[in-house]
Formats: sequence, structure tokens, C-alpha cells
Amino acid sequence: MAIMMPASDQAVLARRAEIVAALRAIVPGEGVIDTPAEMRAYESDGLTAYRQPPMVVVLPDTTEQVSLILKYCAGQGIKVVPRGSGTSLSGGALPLEDGVLLGLGKFKRIREIDFDNRVVVTEPGVTNLAISQAVAHAGFYYAPDPSSQIACSIGGNVAENSGGVHCLKYGMTTNNVLGCEIVLMSGEILRIGGKSAENAGYDLMGVITGSEGLLGVITEITVRILQKPETARALMVGFAEVEAAGECVARIIGAGIIPGGMEMMDKPAIHAAEAFVHAGYPLDVEALLIIELDGPKIEVDELITRVETIANACGSTTCQISTSEAERNLFWAGRKAAFPAVGRISPDYLCMDGTIPRGALPKALARIRELSEKYQLGCANVFHAGDGNLHPLILYDANKPGEIERAEAFGADILRACVEFGGVLTGEHGVGIEKRDLMPEMFSEIDLNQQQRLKCAFDAQGLLNPGKVFPTLHRCAELGRMHVHAGKLAFPDLPRF
Amino acid sequence: MFMRASWRFRICRGSSLDRCHARNLPFALNLDTRSVVDTLKVRDAKDVEEVVRAAIANEQPLEIVGHGSKRGIGHAMATNAVLDVSALNAVTSYEPNELIITVQSGAPLADVLSLIDAKNQQFAFEPVDTAPLLGTAPSGTIGGMIAAGLAGPRRIRAGGARDHLLGAHAVSGFGDSFKTGGRVVKNVTGYDLCKLLAGSWGTLSVMTEVTLKVMPKPEAERTLLLRGLDDAVANKAMTAALGSPFDVSAAAHLPKSAFRAKTDGLGDLAGEGEALTVLRLEGITASAAHRAGSLRELLAPFGTATLIEDTASAALWTTIRDVLPFAAGGALGAWPVWRIVCPPASGAVLGTQLARETGGEVIYDWGGGLIWAALPPKGDAHGPAVRARANALGGHATLIRAPDDVRCNVDVFHPQAPGIAALSERVRASFDPKTILNRGRLTRSAAE
Repeated sequence: MAIMMPASDQAVLARRAEIVAALRAIVPGEGVIDTPAEMRAYESDGLTAYRQPPMVVVLPDTTEQVSLILKYCAGQGIKVVPRGSGTSLSGGALPLEDGVLLGLGKFKRIREIDFDNRVVVTEPGVTNLAISQAVAHAGFYYAPDPSSQIACSIGGNVAENSGGVHCLKYGMTTNNVLGCEIVLMSGEILRIGGKSAENAGYDLMGVITGSEGLLGVITEITVRILQKPETARALMVGFAEVEAAGECVARIIGAGIIPGGMEMMDKPAIHAAEAFVHAGYPLDVEALLIIELDGPKIEVDELITRVETIANACGSTTCQISTSEAERNLFWAGRKAAFPAVGRISPDYLCMDGTIPRGALPKALARIRELSEKYQLGCANVFHAGDGNLHPLILYDANKPGEIERAEAFGADILRACVEFGGVLTGEHGVGIEKRDLMPEMFSEIDLNQQQRLKCAFDAQGLLNPGKVFPTLHRCAELGRMHVHAGKLAFPDLPRF
Repeated sequence: MFMRASWRFRICRGSSLDRCHARNLPFALNLDTRSVVDTLKVRDAKDVEEVVRAAIANEQPLEIVGHGSKRGIGHAMATNAVLDVSALNAVTSYEPNELIITVQSGAPLADVLSLIDAKNQQFAFEPVDTAPLLGTAPSGTIGGMIAAGLAGPRRIRAGGARDHLLGAHAVSGFGDSFKTGGRVVKNVTGYDLCKLLAGSWGTLSVMTEVTLKVMPKPEAERTLLLRGLDDAVANKAMTAALGSPFDVSAAAHLPKSAFRAKTDGLGDLAGEGEALTVLRLEGITASAAHRAGSLRELLAPFGTATLIEDTASAALWTTIRDVLPFAAGGALGAWPVWRIVCPPASGAVLGTQLARETGGEVIYDWGGGLIWAALPPKGDAHGPAVRARANALGGHATLIRAPDDVRCNVDVFHPQAPGIAALSERVRASFDPKTILNRGRLTRSAAE
């Protein structure tokens, strides 16, 4: 394992049997898993390059049990790693050798559907897609749609602030969540927000969303639901140059059009996808845009025409417009299968997730090509073009010595370039362990200390999901210290206020 | 190296702001008299750091001010030192094609709005202009807009200030400049401290520069008007509209009595003296018109809706956004005004009960999820009744306008459940452990 995790607490490990027994007293029956064979299913998440069996797995099914588990662990100084469906691509749910893995998989009940207030109150283990399915009969859906929506849990979505193809228009998880029930590491159960549009006081829901399981364990979530758009149509537009595709994206946005989704694929990604799903993608183009417009039919038809005009003006070489749902789905099939398609042409791949300003796209792709040369590894790019979120897929073979290290170095260089071009390290997959050590590329020590102080406000002992997000762990007491001031003021002759 | 002679801040003196706590300041100050206020006008983030660090050393709390347009909201602060960021007023960059703007926190909101308007863009959350409601001169900064986080009618569709703040540079109560977020919309790198800064009323950090999302202005807007509905029926009509696929961008209800005052923007609409339920559709012209037609059919059981377009529609929604029926210069100008946020389908129950109990007036926005309530003058502004009603329905209430002495008697901001209050206090202390920034603005107890 290339990444350092916090040192295991040998005293905790020595008391494993006692800890397992204590957890069994809280969660009876099959809710505590402690055999190596059974725990194997939990030893990694979607970032499978990293594996670590936990000390023990516990699967509570009530908030009270979660509270008792956390209270017990806090009292005993035992680390806890929360886990939803385990689809994280950044290692957010990677277990710790001396940690309890707290799985929320049994929290899979939708508690309330309230169409009048346009919300669903759900337990965190419910899948993203299941929420949309539960309200589909009334024409509603839950807008954020990460690619893993069949499997990923809504609790995990909140932890990671998940996005998806449609977040350009409809926002990410944080823009679609109203409230939660959360259990702090102390065991304290709190309710934040609810069915109102905004909460009183500080926006705690806002900062919990995307906190990667470091602030608390969520046991209930209230999400906003929307009416499904009347119709959706897509254009599939090919360009001989990546720059022209980038220009097309900029001009669409510049014209005041916010498509439901706007995706780009580069040549290697197009070829891999076409070979896999035979969507009819043009193979002689350097970049392909899939642009989806949704809304009332009259609006979609007009915007399709406007977008087509812009695409032509940008020198598109091919342009197909969907005329049926089947055709629209076919356009998307290749894009949605891009990851497994790339999996077919390469034994392994690493999926990166930086965001850049849209205008920096040609620059970023040129840099990726250079790096591909430098590291002698292929790279296919899929890109949420509308919001500047890049997913370079770095192709490597884990069985060839040194390739994974080269792939990781390549990936790190891409993310550094994203920051250099005015972007960020991660757009939707989270920091986890994967990008943890790159955080100083984007944030100063002061920036990171402020974030960690916030962590201390929720979890003063630092027991919840330690080793994730932050490259260096500080004790809370150390972070709370005022360094410069008392007695050593830089300006002793400051004028009286 | 700092030298006394090069003290760079402009220091102004004025009269004291502090009315509740003048005899009860928590720290001994070296001031000759409590009637003196010193204002430190900072020019850059470095200045802010220096002032905050000096304030920490002197245990001297600071009031953070831009234009001071919302100074009347919240409790009187336990300080007479003012940190004025209005000179931090530059537009750092504006990239219309990226849909972002980066500005210093003291930039005048009006200037920024006209800048982005020239590119046919807007802040989609429709920031409330509080000047008419509070009776202040037209002013206000970007920093104040974020710190107050007061969003207008489009809140229900586009989100609030918190949803449009992408990144910030700020100085914490440790006296350190830090940044959070970035300059792109899609970003999950580290905790999203922007969410905390929005709506924090300057109690966590002094924002020095912010990056905000801007959105294209809709090509056209149409507003359907239903007349004569009582609050409960209007709430149902708004619920039906917002639950439709017609992408309603605003839904408000003005009960009959809201027309008592002659109100700008209502024009002829007020003429018939009937309650008005209004629903806005925005987008490309063909679409807005088409959806208005479809929605009118859907709402037929509630009456025959009439239609207003573009300019007339925009004027109406400005009236609602800025709560002009309760303007300081109007008939209800002396009444305290509450802003109550609740589950939208419960709005009418809450509003009608409150109006009946207090003899007050209410206006509904956000499909019932936001109630502006002007209540007859009373020493506690009817606080206990407002809070009891709001709590019963899962809502919360903020006293936006009230005389100083009333704000000494009632919590301006909604009291939180003990666990949330304790967590919020730990969060606040993680930014500002010595409570240097806007001490006492959010809670009465801090200065008691």
C-alpha cells in the first residue's frame, strides 16, 4: 500500500475479543461480523487498489444502535469507519486494521414520501435510484444521478456530495438535501433541518454534505424531489479538434443555455465505447459531445435547433439528433459504459476526477497528452464538459512491475495541472485516501488547519474515519492554540480602537 | 514591519451602536467614553489580518461592516470597534462564459449586479434588497449579501446564497487568512466551509473575496395571477403548481390585506383589493408561454388565471422579493417584521393562525415555505407566539425588523435545540475561539 494510514493502536487490537463481545451486546445476532472470510467483502470500496480488512464489522439497524456503538467506541478510544454501499472511488470507506467498520446497509427503508412538500425522508442505505423509483408513479424523481446510482446509497451520496451527469442543471447532492439525523462520535443524536427550504442557524447540513464520513454518521436524510421533465432529447456532435469541441461548450453556455447534461469523450474513449456498445459513434473524430436538453417539448425542440446552429458554427464534422427515446438512450449507452469499455481494452485503469474551468479544457487535454508520453501510459478522457469535471482514465497493467506507481504519478500530475489551471483536485469522487496527500497542492497549512478545527467541533478525539482527507493529523488541542498573539503581538503600539 | 507612523487604517469616530449592553461590556476597554466608536477601514486582506490579530491581543471584539445596510438585523453588538471592509471593493475577475465572478467582499452589490446584467446574467437566488424594508439608504455589499444569505422568490428552484457561493478567502478569528472552495462549480475538495460562511452574519470569519456562480437571465417571464383565494386554498394552488412538471420558478400569495398600503410594483394589480396568488414561469419565450398555458389549465379548479408578462411580471416579483407591502415607509412601517421559514405545505396554517392571534399581516413566498409577517407593535414583537407556531410546524423565525429596545427583549434568531446549539457554538469557536467577530449579534445570552 503506497499510502500511509494512521498507526494501528496495538492496545485496541489486543482487546479485539472484548470489543467484538461488546458490539454483540449492542447489535445481536448476525449484525457483528468478525471472521476473516466474511469480512473480506468489506476490505475495500470502489478504489480496489487499496485493501485492508477491518478489525470487526458491525451492521446496526437502528439509530439507537449506531449511537450506542459510537458512544462505546468513543469511550474506549476505538476508531470507526462508516460505510454505505462501498462504491466510493476515492477510498473513503477503506477500513482500518484497528477500526470498527460501521456499515449502514441495513438502513434501507424509505420513511416518508411527502409530495405536498416535495421531499422524501429516507434511511441512508437506500440506493440513489430507489428514491427515484419510489416516487416515479407521481412523476417525480431525485435529480442527482451518479453513474453508480443502481448501487450507491443516498447516505454515501451525502458523505461524498455526489454529482452525476445532470448536476450541471440540477445541482449536486448538497443542492438537493434539506435535512438529516446524524449521530456524532460521542453517540449524541441530532436532527438538522427538515422539510423547510433552509435551516435555522449555521448551515450544518451544508458542511456535513461532502464531509466524507469524518463528521458524523447519518441515519436519516430528507431530500428534495422534482417533477420529471416532460421530455429529453440529445445531440451527438463530432469535432475534428478538441479545441473546437471546447469552444462549442463555451458558446452554448455563453448563449444562456444550460443543458441537462453535456458530456465530452476523446478519441480513445470514443473508440473503446464504440467497440463495447456499438452506439454508432463516429470513429474519425477527435472529440464527441453528447448534449442533452430537457424540459417541455416546445423548449427542447427550439434549444436543439439553437445548439445545432452553435455546433455548426464551431465546425462540427458530424451531428446527430435523437428522434426517439431509444436513440437518445443509445447516444448515452456508450458514455455510460465508458468505464467498463475502457476496462476491456486495458487490464487496469485509474479513474481521475479533477475539475477545471471550462475554458482550460484544450490546455488540460494537451497536458494530459504530454504526460501520457512521459509516463508511457495510455489515457482515455471522458469529461462532464458542462461543468469542467474531467475523468481521465489512465490505462495500466497492475501485473507489470512499476506500472501502478507510474499510473499514480501520472494521475497526480493531472490533478496538479487541474489546480494550476484554476481548478480543483476532485469534482465529485471525493478526497478519501486517493487524493489526500495532494491536498497541499490546493490548500495551505492554514486552510487545512481551519478544516481540521471544524472536524474537532464534531469529533474532538479524531476517531471517526481518521486517515482520510487530511494529509497530516493534528490533535485538536494543538489546532485550537493561538500562535501569534498573546504577549507577542507584532504591533505592540497598535492605536487604541 | 508595522510602525505606528505607518498605521494604514483610516480611523473614524462616531456615536455608539450599542444600546442593550452599554453598561455591561464583558471586557474593560481603554476608551474614555462608551459613546465613541472607532472604525477601521481596511484596504486588503493583510489589513484585516492585522486588525483581527490586534483585536485578539486586546480582547477587543469587532463589528464587521460593509455598507452597514443590514446593521439593524440581529442583536446590538458588545463592541464599539468597527472593521469596515467597504474599501475592499474590486471585481477580481468576471468570466461570463465560465458563469463565475470573483469579487472582494466590500464590492457594492448594485455595481456587481449591473456588471453581470450587462452580460445578461444574474445571481439566480434573487438576493433580497433589505433597504426598503429596513428603511435604510439603498446600499449593500456582496459580503453582506452572502453573510445574510437572504434569498428571494427563486430560492425554491435555484437555491439560496449558499448554493451559489463557490469559494471564499476569509480571515478567521485566529487572525489567519484562509481559503475554502474554489472557482469551479463542481468541487468536493475538503469541507465546504462556504456553506457555513453563507448566512453566518459575520460571526465566523471576515470574508475578503468570494467567487460566486452567475446564471443566464431567462429570456422571458410570465406570471399567472389567481384572485380572491383564501390563504389555505392559495397554499393548495401553489402546491399543485410546484408539483407540476411546468417548472414554476416562484409561487407567492398576497392576502387581501397586504394591499392596504399603496405598494410599488403592484400597480393596477392591487386595484381590485382581492388576494393575489402568483406563479412565475421563466425560460425561452415559447416555453414560458406554453407552460403558462398548461399551468393555467391545471389551476382551473382554483379559478381563471390572468397573465402578466416580462416587465410587469418582474416588477411584481421585486415587490414580493423586497417585501414592499411592509416597507418602512409604508402604512405598516412601524410594525416589527418576521421572516418565517417552514415546510411549504404548512405555510397557510402557520400564517393564518399567526395573523389571527396577533392581528398582523402576512405574505407568503416560496409556495408557502416563506412567510413574511408584519405584526402590531409590542414589547416582544409577539416573539413567543411566532416561535411557538413555527416550532409546532417544523419552521423557524427571524426578527428582521424591530426597534432596538424590542431586540433587547427577544431572540432575533431562532433558538436552536440544545444539541444543535452546542454543536453550532463549537463550530463557531473553531473559527473564532475568542469571539472577536460580531460578538453578540446572533444571541442575546452572549452579552448578558
